[in-house]
Amino acid sequence: MAQLNNIIHQPARLQIMSALMALDNNELADFTYLKKLLKLTDGNLGAHLAKLEEADYIKIEKTFVDRKPKTYIKLTGKGRDAFAEHIKALKKIIKGA
Amino acid sequence: MNISKEDAEQSLTLIEQTTRQTTKSLIASYESITLIIWGFVWLIAFLGTHFFLKWVWLIWMSLCFVGFLTSFLFYYFRYRAGTPTKNPEAGKIGRKYFWYWVILFIYLSIWLKILSPISGLKTNAFICSVIMFSWVTSGIWSGSTYLVLLGSIVTAVILTGFYLIPISYYSLWMALAGSLPIIATGLYIKLRWRQ
Repeated sequence: MAQLNNIIHQPARLQIMSALMALDNNELADFTYLKKLLKLTDGNLGAHLAKLEEADYIKIEKTFVDRKPKTYIKLTGKGRDAFAEHIKALKKIIKGA
Repeated sequence: MNISKEDAEQSLTLIEQTTRQTTKSLIASYESITLIIWGFVWLIAFLGTHFFLKWVWLIWMSLCFVGFLTSFLFYYFRYRAGTPTKNPEAGKIGRKYFWYWVILFIYLSIWLKILSPISGLKTNAFICSVIMFSWVTSGIWSGSTYLVLLGSIVTAVILTGFYLIPISYYSLWMALAGSLPIIATGLYIKLRWRQ
């Protein structure tokens, strides 16, 4: 039975997961891009990402592009499944089942 | 964890909005410039065809080369400046697109050979409509509604030019009516869909 997910349900984290779901399977989002897209501060986004990473829903990759540090984020398989489950649970509530 | 029906609806709306906004912002980052570049190639090439008809092949070949080079340079510098996303399969996708266009070019040549002798006007309308066909089909496959709409609009422009506009004004019509929707769509996406 589909269950609501406490970690994902928080609005900022819900947006982070939705944005990452919009990407291709192996595609990673740039930290700065996500920050601008979701209108979050560095600290706020960082804290929510840490929570999602702790649950193993996302993977954070730190790298260098042209000698500049870059942080990329991608959804894990577990994260994808948890998000799909969460959407199912939301739809079930709306249907009143 | 229990939430009300209204809360569930709000959450689903937030998910849909964010997903749509992400897709649009990525299109604005990558595809809008390509549309603007090729819209201008189309505009200048058709204007060139109208005013300097005897140089038609040279005009189209050199402008297509400029279009490919500009697109390549744009993506190269965009990558250097930092792209919003990183896709480990980008090379594979890029190669697929490259071969898609090579194969389309080969088939266009085959069809033109089969259909020859064929007038310059028919050749032009044929090539342009096949390219628009590729925009519409790739729009259907990738779920890009804007590409399906744009391809259909430009196809309607081609058909109008071919059947209703006097032959001596065909290239001028295509330059203005054909490039306008492409450039306008590129600019609209660039300005309105970015985050």
